[in-house]
Amino acid sequence: MLYAVLLGLFLPLVSFLGLMSASNIIGRRLTGFIACASVLISFVCFSSLLWIYTNTQMQPQTFFIYHWIPVSGIDADFTLYIDPLALLMTLIITGIGFLIHLYSIGYIEHEEDFARYFACLNFFIFAMLLLVLAGNLLLLFAGWEGVGLASYLLVGYWYHRPAAAQAATKAFVVNRIGDCGFLIALLLTFQIFGTGEITDVTQRVAQLFAIGAPLLTLMTFLYFVGAMGKSAQLPLQVWLPDAMEGPTPVSALIHAATMVTAGVYLVVRMHDVYLLTPLTLYIIAIIGAATALFAALCALAQTDLKRVLAYSTISQLGYMFLACGVGAFYAGMFHLTTHAFVKALLFLAAGNVVHMMHGSTNMDYMGGLWKIFFKTRWLFLIGAIALAGIPPLAIFFSKDLILEQVHHAGYELLFYTGLLTSILTAFYMTRAYYLTFLGKTRLEEKIIKVVEEAPSIMTGPVTALAVLSIIGGFLGYAFGAMPPLESFLHKVGIGLPGNQPSGNFVFTLETLASTVGALLAIALAYTIYSKYAQRLGAPLQVLKKAFYIDQIYDLLFVNPLKFVASLITRFIEPKMIEGSILATAHGTQKTARWLQQMQSGQIRSYVAWMAIGMALLIVYMAF
Amino acid sequence: MDILFFIYISMAMFAVGVIGVLVKRNALIFFLSIELMLNAANLLFVAFARQWGNETGLVWVFFVLVVAAAEAAVGLALIINLFRSKQIVDVDQYNVLKG
Repeated sequence: MLYAVLLGLFLPLVSFLGLMSASNIIGRRLTGFIACASVLISFVCFSSLLWIYTNTQMQPQTFFIYHWIPVSGIDADFTLYIDPLALLMTLIITGIGFLIHLYSIGYIEHEEDFARYFACLNFFIFAMLLLVLAGNLLLLFAGWEGVGLASYLLVGYWYHRPAAAQAATKAFVVNRIGDCGFLIALLLTFQIFGTGEITDVTQRVAQLFAIGAPLLTLMTFLYFVGAMGKSAQLPLQVWLPDAMEGPTPVSALIHAATMVTAGVYLVVRMHDVYLLTPLTLYIIAIIGAATALFAALCALAQTDLKRVLAYSTISQLGYMFLACGVGAFYAGMFHLTTHAFVKALLFLAAGNVVHMMHGSTNMDYMGGLWKIFFKTRWLFLIGAIALAGIPPLAIFFSKDLILEQVHHAGYELLFYTGLLTSILTAFYMTRAYYLTFLGKTRLEEKIIKVVEEAPSIMTGPVTALAVLSIIGGFLGYAFGAMPPLESFLHKVGIGLPGNQPSGNFVFTLETLASTVGALLAIALAYTIYSKYAQRLGAPLQVLKKAFYIDQIYDLLFVNPLKFVASLITRFIEPKMIEGSILATAHGTQKTARWLQQMQSGQIRSYVAWMAIGMALLIVYMAF
Repeated sequence: MDILFFIYISMAMFAVGVIGVLVKRNALIFFLSIELMLNAANLLFVAFARQWGNETGLVWVFFVLVVAAAEAAVGLALIINLFRSKQIVDVDQYNVLKG
């Protein structure tokens, strides 16, 4: 069993190293094959673990690999922790990861740096697996930074494009702010508990602290700051829309399905600690709801197809945090799973369009594409309906569960925010679908003739994801029995609050409201964009620019920092830093020139120096 | 005879050798001066061996003589070759090792 874990974890790393070092030797076909095969084998490993788990009633287990940092007070070991939660995440990562690897073969076909792309993608899979399997918070942090690095490398894959390079830097820098919080929280954990083992921490925390202890609240909040950066929650959401400069499969894998959910995973993984700090949970719920609404509003006015999906991702991540904030960790994980299916589907379907239109993502120049993308349009439509929350597609069940839990927990305002967001979601997905695929085409004639449907290596994985998006909701819904996902995750202790193991779908007023609202929103959006599109002006600028938050940050932080930096480059750097270095160099040179005079080549002068030296030596020894 | 006498003679010989090396520019005289210094040391060895009745000093003298002979052969060959290439015996002109 340990071997299966290790194989599944390290095979993508081996593949990454191999592809990096042998990128010039092996051909493109083999490169794609190796990259896909390593992730597929990894998926098989974790699937077999799942089979063992469900069939043998195995308990969560810690695998000790080796002493990593044997310093007293830190004492971090390389341990892997396997429980249903980690297993669920690994299956999502490797399963969707494999489909996206396969899709990438078609998407990245014409690029020069074929091997670099797949190597980075494999490295991402490894880092993400390390993150979810880590039994130690420090090891988890290593994976956390690893996925950040992979994200940086892949967003900046087209590094010669200034926008992509800038977006990569922005993603990296904004994530550092969150990571700063994570790191402080990590140090606090070591200070308080003397260990970073997650199981130790969660077991001992209840004995050490009362509910609402300030120190613990601070620690959990700082962990959440890290999650904020990684999962693009307010106020650190600015990097995710820009990260869409990367290749679309990367957006699907990293910036929709897996990496951005790491923050949610962290909160769920530490839920025993979070339950002791109601204040932090309250903050999480508020920030989650605010982000969900904010991003949904922004998505209404985007003209770039991928940015619509990016804001939608931020919005859905807000839902997950809202669920965690009200203590419904299971609902959050359920939503994470269904969202991974649906959003990967939407991104890949959008990727078909983007790829075949040679990188154009602007919906102003699309429209009427249903004639060309006769397969992709249906796939995108399935994703759009699923995301809008129409039963019985995947998101419906998870979103409904979240809204229900929020309502039960008694947060009226947050519930209505969530409800409004779900209606907005239906609206902007309909808008995106209509602007892209329906209506009159705004393409130029000569482009229409060239563009065609994506090849089957790209539509295949998307179809698989579409199937998952349709049936994925039934992971959390079973007729009159405990849903499979809930019974699976029950061992982790994140069943529904109140210890009632019946996350089954109940037809309530909330369900009715959200479903009817979504249907109305779809009808409204369809009517507006089919009949009154001419009368609509340009999208609201304030929404399109995401409430000018980027500009505000520029004004408050970026420009002052740039000003300080320019002062330093102009005054301090040439005089102090460079000046001192140059002075050292010149001084050395001058001394050398002076000493050089002694090397005259005159033998007699050497003898004279020798004689003087000996005379001095004799004098020294005599007295 | 007084040991002091030999010490003075040896010191004088050595000083003459050093001054020869420092002052003379002819390579052959330069070379002779070096031999003079070696023999000043030899003289002292012999004198002290006699004074203390210890043969170790005598053995050392033979070593020095053998080495000096070998050195004379090599040194003279070097000087002849230098002279052939430069047509000069002035050591000040042999300054290609200048830094």
